[in-house]
Amino acid sequence: MYLGANMRDIVELGIGLLEKEGIEYGDVRLSQTENEVINVKNGAVESIKSGESKGYGIRVIKGGWGFASSSDFSERGMKETIKRALKIAGASSKISDNIDLENVEIYQESYTTPYKKDPFKIPLEEKLDYLMDVDERMEIDDRIKVRKCNFNAWKTIKEFASTEGARIEQELIMTGGGLGVNVSDGEDTQKRSYPNSFGGDYNSRGYEFFEDLDLLGNAEDTAEEGVDLLEAEQCPEGEMDIILNTNQLALQVHESCGHPTELDRALGTEASYAGTSFLTPDKLGDFRYGSDIVNIVSDATAEGGLGTFGYDDEGVKAKKVDLIRNGIFVGYQASREGAAKVGVEVSGNMRADGWKNLPIVRMTNINLEPGDWSKDEIVEETEKGIIFDGIKSWSIDDKRLNFQFGTEAGYLIENGEITKLIKNPTYTGLTPEFWNNCDAIAGEEEWRLHGVPNCGKGEPPQTMQVGHGCAPARFTDIRVGVGKW
Amino acid sequence: MVGSKTLRKRFDEVADKILNEAKADEIEVRIIQSDTALTRYANSRIHQNIGQKDTHLSIRAVFGKKVGSATTNSLEDKDVKNLLAKAETIAKNQRKDPEFYGLPAVKDKIDEKSAFVKETAEYSPDQRAEKVKEIIEMARSEGVDRVYGAFQTDMKSLFVANSHGVRRFSTLTTANLTTNAIVDWDDDQGFGWGESFSADVSEIDHIEVGKTAVEKGLNNIEPEKIELGEYDVVLEPLAVKSILMYLDMMGFSAKSVQEERSFMNGRFGEQIMDERVDIYDDVSEKDMVGFPFDYEGVPKQRVDLIKSGVANEVVYDSYTAGREGDKESTGHALPMPNPMSPLAMNLLMGTGDFSKDEMIEETEKGILVTRFNYCRPIHPMKGILTGLTRDGTWLIEDGEIKKPVKNLRFTQNLIEALDNVEAIGEERRLFPMGYYPAYFAAPAVKIPDFRFTGTTEF
Repeated sequence: MYLGANMRDIVELGIGLLEKEGIEYGDVRLSQTENEVINVKNGAVESIKSGESKGYGIRVIKGGWGFASSSDFSERGMKETIKRALKIAGASSKISDNIDLENVEIYQESYTTPYKKDPFKIPLEEKLDYLMDVDERMEIDDRIKVRKCNFNAWKTIKEFASTEGARIEQELIMTGGGLGVNVSDGEDTQKRSYPNSFGGDYNSRGYEFFEDLDLLGNAEDTAEEGVDLLEAEQCPEGEMDIILNTNQLALQVHESCGHPTELDRALGTEASYAGTSFLTPDKLGDFRYGSDIVNIVSDATAEGGLGTFGYDDEGVKAKKVDLIRNGIFVGYQASREGAAKVGVEVSGNMRADGWKNLPIVRMTNINLEPGDWSKDEIVEETEKGIIFDGIKSWSIDDKRLNFQFGTEAGYLIENGEITKLIKNPTYTGLTPEFWNNCDAIAGEEEWRLHGVPNCGKGEPPQTMQVGHGCAPARFTDIRVGVGKW
Repeated sequence: MVGSKTLRKRFDEVADKILNEAKADEIEVRIIQSDTALTRYANSRIHQNIGQKDTHLSIRAVFGKKVGSATTNSLEDKDVKNLLAKAETIAKNQRKDPEFYGLPAVKDKIDEKSAFVKETAEYSPDQRAEKVKEIIEMARSEGVDRVYGAFQTDMKSLFVANSHGVRRFSTLTTANLTTNAIVDWDDDQGFGWGESFSADVSEIDHIEVGKTAVEKGLNNIEPEKIELGEYDVVLEPLAVKSILMYLDMMGFSAKSVQEERSFMNGRFGEQIMDERVDIYDDVSEKDMVGFPFDYEGVPKQRVDLIKSGVANEVVYDSYTAGREGDKESTGHALPMPNPMSPLAMNLLMGTGDFSKDEMIEETEKGILVTRFNYCRPIHPMKGILTGLTRDGTWLIEDGEIKKPVKNLRFTQNLIEALDNVEAIGEERRLFPMGYYPAYFAAPAVKIPDFRFTGTTEF
């Protein structure tokens, strides 16, 4: 059941009740999410799921923070939820700092994701037919044990209101999908995916994004390369130049720049779970994070980005903020509370996983700006190196310094030419050393905005959809081929 | 708090309505209701404090071999009716899945009681805040001004009914407290960790948790970098939990074997680990918590995955069992459909006869590890995992803890590691997985030649 026009009434009811409670601040955030997931596997539809979830969260400050959420839309339900939030705030106030929220402009606005084709209006039959065709194209070798492809779409309607007067409506749409194979010869197992692993690629666009992915046109080549990986040589061990294709570079940006520039981590409020950050406030403005050509922004306005929206979940208008400029660490992703503590700009990064969870600092689109090379030029000017493609394994320490990544495929470069496919490619390093060794970034023509639909953070765990734009880039003298094989 | 009898009655009514109105050949109704309360603290202040209630209704509709499913978080009549229509429409438009052999029909009477403790269910924000305050005060008395962590209490009910007459209901409580001490924030050192998990919140000794974290933090000042290579390791139970969790994800399910990506593939009946290693799934063990049936309503069976070091068996849901023909579900389905299912959700490692102190005493040169961070499989068929140590890592020399060392990255074949295991702890501790309602009981272990491949700066 869509709540429709009732949504405004429900949040007004909540705000009206909160205003009688003598609180320092309060907001009501109501959201209704619909999603559709189709997974095809080995010639059959593994699952078709349709889900919807609706409810609201109440955030209050009364001597301390309190948050309660519920899906009971009755007046009684709203009163009980507010009572619970206030009781929780009362408990927090026993051990709380004074809470200041940085002043921001208050909006009464609405926003809708620009899209051409509503993914929920495309007939199920059409999507199934397409995915079954994709599956069939991958059926090329007995060593392929799993063929899979998928379509996913989400639509979220949100209503946000605060005791400061904010009233914001949003309708957000996200669409995506992908394909992949798992291959095995009984001795070894490998996987290959397109356009990326873990379900493909996603954007805040309509069905047109899924069509543009052209899964059908890429199915056979992906499956073939999966099989080829079984026979490929093991990744060599040593130090050499590496080139990251955009699907892997997106993850590198995510883990080694996105997370450490979250101000809540730097201030310790994620210390016991996700961890802290090596980018502490004293480093802001003069720490050399990367080479001169490294420019990274948090941009919730990027067209089509999975982290694109009109307003964040504390009512701050979407914006673009510098995180790394000419290699120097210059900005944080900051909430109103965090910004007031440290004296930095509110970046509009507060996002909650559904109505049930508390908004926390989350990435929007963390983008590496393009350089002036082409990927072909980078390869030509690489004497010995490896191109990494397709996320397979990722691990990084709790301050975001030491990382180790593995990709589905690697391509060895010798004397400026790609000479062979290699399997189990891994590379490792320390974040600032790594980014300071970035000496070439491809240009705008090869820049891609990828979507990561499953970024985990917070307690209880929250999952967020974030975007990362980048073009292929080279990093010099990196340790590759880690581990004993 | 709504009583469990009232809740059961409400869920029965919803299920009856769906089962009566359904036109599908088979129907499954699953309801998960949760009430989560969590107090997070950082820099010795409460900074996040929440209460969440939600109800998840899922319907799986089956026409022949065509399956569709839909979920909502509303139990209102109109929404339930729409949901049934949606699930049936999806199923009708679905393609046939030749490998689907029907919903399970196991109606055996079992004790449906989970570990439910009223005190946990009714634990208040004030009580959580009070315990957190006492941890903070205790830490201050030891000279530690910054502690971090979370105190969570949960109540979860699971109801499953299907058109074959399966009908199960159970309610479970859990409580988990973590404390992370950071003794010297300015110089970025002195990290320590304590954690306790139980169905009964009164069994959580919050001062003990805090003290463990503080003591570890105080003993972890000025850690030194050590040379990379292979070391003997003494892994505390929390570190072993990570090993169990990733073995589970890499290879203990029938799906991973059927897809030929498990380290168990081609090795059933073979001695792949030391003969003292037993790893099994058993919700009925006294130090385990969990629902006694899975998300399809099938009673959970004990499954001896690794028996005396031998690759023995894996867990099944109804789908993976159906694919093999001669197998039955072992009761390890996740909420279906689910690409992660089946999963061992109540995993235990058998204990040995060593104390942690004895393991340290008998180590000439080695590393003591509190816990691991951000582990990820590198190669599931080979059982290779990478990750880092966290919140307390020390060098052991001549049977004594010599000095703290900076965190280390390992890249290690876990099967080889457990084949070489030198000692297994006499006690084990229970920990939650986090993302899935899965629980792991792990002892400490000592493993020789554990491969460290990287280090970090703290």
